[in-house]
Amino acid sequence: MRSDDAPMITPQNILRHELIGLDVEILEASNPSLVGIKGRVVDETRNTLVIEKYDGREVVVPKDVAVFKFKLGDKYVKVIGSLLIGRPEDRLKKKIKNIYPY
Amino acid sequence: MGYSKRRIKKIALERIDILMNLAEEAYRKGELDRMRRYIELSRRIAMKARVSFPKKWKRRICKKCLTVLIYGENCKVRTVSDKNCPHVAIKCLNCGNVIKIPMVREKKLKRKLKRMKKEDK
Ligand SMILES: [Zn+2]
Repeated sequence: MRSDDAPMITPQNILRHELIGLDVEILEASNPSLVGIKGRVVDETRNTLVIEKYDGREVVVPKDVAVFKFKLGDKYVKVIGSLLIGRPEDRLKKKIKNIYPY
Repeated sequence: MGYSKRRIKKIALERIDILMNLAEEAYRKGELDRMRRYIELSRRIAMKARVSFPKKWKRRICKKCLTVLIYGENCKVRTVSDKNCPHVAIKCLNCGNVIKIPMVREKKLKRKLKRMKKEDK
């Protein structure tokens, strides 16, 4: 679908890049019924991601309680959801705190 | 951690391209609400990053009803050779809004060439 000769989305810029259209899996969540959901991101708001499961149903997942695994080409990236908080257009310029101070 | 303006603009252009491709796909599938949402998001991103909307996509959206225009399918493209302002008119068949792209410069050039040809004869 997307022609990737040089991958646009990399693990370094995924926090500022587009999440809509990516394949996603939920690894951890405070709500156990959300764990293990696989699908495609179809919409994004400030605090939630809308994931369309492969059977066609849509699930609204809060960003800050979950850990996501995004598929980039043939690689996978694990992202802590609380880092993704912010409206999609605000995430572009958001300052990101250093969470691993080493 | 500082991201330079240039890098932000590059990411913004990439995001717009991704969203517009998805919007076109959504239109083909008949998911019109989703298409409108994607176009709205891509225009907001362009505003936020202060980049001009890419030429490739700029003329392919109807700003009034936020639809992806596919030439010959849901829009009508005509040249209008008006004396005062010759333009290319793109009419959205969904809402009837007309986008006008002036071509004064091209017309002037054509007239000039014609005159030169006459003088040669
Ligand atoms: Zn329209």
